[in-house]
Amino acid sequence: MGELSSKTPDQTLDVLGRVCPYPLVLSKKAVEKMSSGQLLKVLCDAPASAEDSIPKWAEKQGLKFESVKVAGSDSWELYIQKS
Amino acid sequence: METAAQGVTLGFIISGLVVGGLIGFVLQRGRFCMNTAFRDTIFIKDFTMFRAYLLALIIMIIGSNILNDMDIIHLKAQSFYPLANIIGGFIFGLGIVLAGGCGSGIVYRVGEGQMASWVAVLGFFLGIGATNSGVLKPVYDALRTVQVGPSGMTLMTVAGDTPTMKWIIIAVLCALLSIYVLMGKPFKVGKQKGFFWSVAAVLMGVLGVITFWASEHWGSPGFARGLNFTTPTGELFFTILTGDARSRFFPMYDLGMFKVTWAEFYIIGVPLGSYISARILKEFKWKIPPATEMLTVLGGSILMGFGAVCAGGCNVGQALTGFSTLSIGSIVATIFIILGNWTMVYFKFIKPMNED
Repeated sequence: MGELSSKTPDQTLDVLGRVCPYPLVLSKKAVEKMSSGQLLKVLCDAPASAEDSIPKWAEKQGLKFESVKVAGSDSWELYIQKS
Repeated sequence: METAAQGVTLGFIISGLVVGGLIGFVLQRGRFCMNTAFRDTIFIKDFTMFRAYLLALIIMIIGSNILNDMDIIHLKAQSFYPLANIIGGFIFGLGIVLAGGCGSGIVYRVGEGQMASWVAVLGFFLGIGATNSGVLKPVYDALRTVQVGPSGMTLMTVAGDTPTMKWIIIAVLCALLSIYVLMGKPFKVGKQKGFFWSVAAVLMGVLGVITFWASEHWGSPGFARGLNFTTPTGELFFTILTGDARSRFFPMYDLGMFKVTWAEFYIIGVPLGSYISARILKEFKWKIPPATEMLTVLGGSILMGFGAVCAGGCNVGQALTGFSTLSIGSIVATIFIILGNWTMVYFKFIKPMNED
């Protein structure tokens, strides 16, 4: 368990089944509405978004980010903390 | 284009499928999507994929022009139709954002099981067909009445049409683009599941050069058609619907009672290649977006078809292949594809976010 994934998220966003670029667009929107320090958990099964675009965006924004591949499934739990 | 009396050989079909398959494989592995490349520059200020596009372009410009000068392939630049290139390119750029993928993006995602892309490919053809020979043809004809400069006008036509001048232009252009690509640290290859961006870009560039050669060798003697997605998509569906590829610019071959082009086989190969790649990476999954999004995709892809035919090609046919010939029409179309993309990204993704 990482630092972020062990915490209780303030909000969970389900973008399962959605394809690029919607997981990124919706995550960005959710984070922008949150207040500083809050944690967003994103459920995502789009590889291009979970592995490329969302991590890249989080890094650019200087957001704390953690990605957990859900065992036995082809989806991810992404944890993003607003700085 | 008149029908060539030649029949299709086995090599014709297999080479098309293999070249297309390799392209599909690399597109999927590298997530090489030019809609993303253009969008991310303004949406999340990320330039990685944009640099990947430029790197592939540099390789295609240099590679294709070397082969051309060695008389191995014969490049043919498109003419400059300002209205068609500008309006078509811009509309295509708007369309790719709505359709969720560019000309190549929607085709390779078919092989990943994304239903939105299946719809997008059908819509793309609807737009292409209507513009080629249907209700939108008068608009196409009107836009194409305005031509500036001699046919096949390139940067050399303006600067001086000598081999030396051509290579000076290529050297300067590629040097400038390379400086920008190097700022993205292309050699610092990171470990990841798919191809690193610079690896994907080099492979795409090399495949683009190979396609110049293969398309001429097998499918269009004396004229390197190169990599493109619009005309092959149109030809494939015209063959399916009417038995005749109805290619206006490229030779057609007899396959039994049907008239086909080489590019039809490589366009079939692209989703097959991406399917194989996605299966190996366990990324293949049937995905169905919400109904309203499906409608947006359909509308966007019809715009893409119309725009691409008017502009003389899509993000690949113009922004890579056409650009490689240094055609002014292709360069203008490329610029307006990017501007169209940015415009739609602003209204669809950036502005709504700022308003909430």
